[in-house]
Amino acid sequence: MNRLTTFIYSRKAAPWVFLAPFLILFLVFKVFPVVLAVLMSFQKIQGINTGEFNGVANYEALASNVRFGVALRNTTLYTVGTLIVLIPIPLIIAVLLDSGRVVKATVFRTILFLPALTSLVVVGTVFRAVLNPTGLLNSAIEQVGAQPQRWLEVAELAIPSLILLAAWRWTGINIIYFSSGLVNISKEIYEAAAIDGANAFQMFWRITLPLLRPTTLFVVILTIIGGFQVFVEPYILYPGGQSPGDGGLSLAYLIYRTAFNSFNLGSAAAMGVVLALIIFILSLIQFRFFGAFQREG
Amino acid sequence: MSAASQYSTASPTDVQVSRGRQFTVSKITILVIFLILAFLFLIPLYWMVLSSVRPLGLIFTSGTNMLPTVTTLDNYSRLFSSVPYLNWFANSVVQSLGFSIASVTICAMGGFALAKYRFRGRNTLLILILLSQMIPFYLLIIPLFVMIVKMGLVDTLVGAILPLAAHPIGIFFMRQYMLSIEDELLDAARVDGASEYRLFFSIAVPISRPAIATLLVLFALEYWNNLLWPLIVFRSPERMPLAVGLSTLVTQYYPSYDLVMAGSTLATVPIIILFLFLRRQFMEGFGALGTGIK
Repeated sequence: MNRLTTFIYSRKAAPWVFLAPFLILFLVFKVFPVVLAVLMSFQKIQGINTGEFNGVANYEALASNVRFGVALRNTTLYTVGTLIVLIPIPLIIAVLLDSGRVVKATVFRTILFLPALTSLVVVGTVFRAVLNPTGLLNSAIEQVGAQPQRWLEVAELAIPSLILLAAWRWTGINIIYFSSGLVNISKEIYEAAAIDGANAFQMFWRITLPLLRPTTLFVVILTIIGGFQVFVEPYILYPGGQSPGDGGLSLAYLIYRTAFNSFNLGSAAAMGVVLALIIFILSLIQFRFFGAFQREG
Repeated sequence: MSAASQYSTASPTDVQVSRGRQFTVSKITILVIFLILAFLFLIPLYWMVLSSVRPLGLIFTSGTNMLPTVTTLDNYSRLFSSVPYLNWFANSVVQSLGFSIASVTICAMGGFALAKYRFRGRNTLLILILLSQMIPFYLLIIPLFVMIVKMGLVDTLVGAILPLAAHPIGIFFMRQYMLSIEDELLDAARVDGASEYRLFFSIAVPISRPAIATLLVLFALEYWNNLLWPLIVFRSPERMPLAVGLSTLVTQYYPSYDLVMAGSTLATVPIIILFLFLRRQFMEGFGALGTGIK
C-alpha cells in the first residue's frame, strides 16, 4: 500500500481520524461562531453582508438601553427564583425517595419525571391556558375561596408565573440528578452514624449534603445556565412573546427579537457576549464556592 | 422541646431508631405528601388531554370539572384539515432520528479516540469541549444564522442538524463509557491483525451498545423538544418540525385552544408511551449524564 494509506491505518493517526468529524463540526459550528459573534458585537451591521467596525458603540448603547436593563433584572430574578425552588425541593424529595420510606417510590419518581419529557412549547401552551383568567388555576383558587389573579396580564406576576412553570417542568429531572448522586453514597456510612447515635437531621447535614456536593454543584450550574437562557417559556406564554409591562422579558428573548425581528445583529451579538460573560463568571464563582467547601470538609 | 421531638418522629431517616406505630405514622404522612405532589404534577397533562377532546366553548367554562362529560374528536379532525400537522409530525420524526443518529455516531467515534488513545493535546481538547458547554446558544445563533443563510442551508435538514451535532455532553458521555473497555482486549485484537478501525466497529461499538442506545434516545428527545434552532432554520410551514409548527399556532394573540390542545396532546402522548417502554433507558440515562460530570 502507499504511504498515505499506511499512515491513516497507523495507531498514531487513528485517534485523529476518529475525532475528525466531531472536531470539524465543533470548529465550524462552535469555535468559529464564537469568534464571529465577538467580532460582530463590535460592528454596525446592515443586512447580513455589510458590517463595519464601530468600536464599542453597541456596548455603549446597551448601557442606556432601558429594555436591556429590564431584561437583565427579570432574568436574574427568574434565575434566583428557580434556584430557590429547584435545588432544595428536588433534593429533599430525592432523599425521601431514596430512604425506602416511600411506598411505590418508583411510581412517584416516574410521575414526577413525566413533565421533563414534554416539549417546552407544549408546557408553555398548557400553562398559558392554565393561567388564563378563567383557566384551571383560577378555577381552583375560586374553589377554595381565594382571590383569582390575572396571572399573564400583570407585570409583577410574570416572573412568579414563569417560576411556577419551571417548577413543574424541571423538578423531576433534578430529582433524577440528586438520586443518582445519592446512589454513590455508601449505606455503611449511615449505619455507622446510626450506631454513633446520629439522628436523621444530623445524618442529612453531616453526611448526605457534604457527600452530595459534586451533584449539587452540577445541578446549581445547570440551573443557572438554564435560568439565564430562558426563552421558550416567555415566547410561548405571551402572545407574540410580548409580556405586559415587559414583566416577562428575558435576556435570551430580547437577543432573539433584536436579531431576528429588528435585524440589529451587532447589538444582539453584544447582548450575547454579555450573557456569555455572566454565565461564565457565575459558573466560575460556583466552582470556587463549592471548591472552598470541599477543602473545609 | 415537645415540638422538636414530634418533628423527629416524622423525619425521613430515623428508620433505625423508630419502631411500630411511630414508623407507620411517618410513612403515611410521607405517602400523603407524595400523593399530593403526584396529583399536582399530573393535573396539567390530564387537563391538556381533556381539553383536547372538549369543544372550545367548554375548555374555559368547566371550572374545576375534571370529568370528560362532553367529548368530541372534532378538534383533531380540524387540526389535520387546517394546518399541515401530519407533515410537522413526520418532519419531527425524521429530523429527530437524523440528528440523533448523526450526533451519536460522531460522538461515539470521538469518544473512543479520547478514551483509548494517548496523543498530544488530548486533555486540553477534552477540557475545551467541556467548557464549550457553557457558551450560551444565544451567542451562537446570530453568527450561525448568517452562516446557514450564506451556505444556502435555510429550510434544510442539514442546516437543522449539522450545527448541533458536535454535542459536548455526547462525546464526554461516550468517552466515560469507553474508558471501561480494557486495553488488553484491544491489544489482543491488534496482535491478531485487526486494524484500528476494526477495533472500533468490532469491539468498542458492541461493548458500548447500552450507552449508544441511551444517547440515541436522549438526543432524539432533545431534538423533538427543541424549538429555538429549528425556529430559525425553517421558514416554510410544510418543512417545520412539530415544536415550530405548534409555536406558530400558539404565539397568536387569540390562539384556538381547541386546536392547540389537540396538537400538544399528539406531540406529547407518543413520547410518554415510548417512555413507559424505555423508562430505565430514559431515567438512568439522564442520571448518568448528570453524574458523569464530576
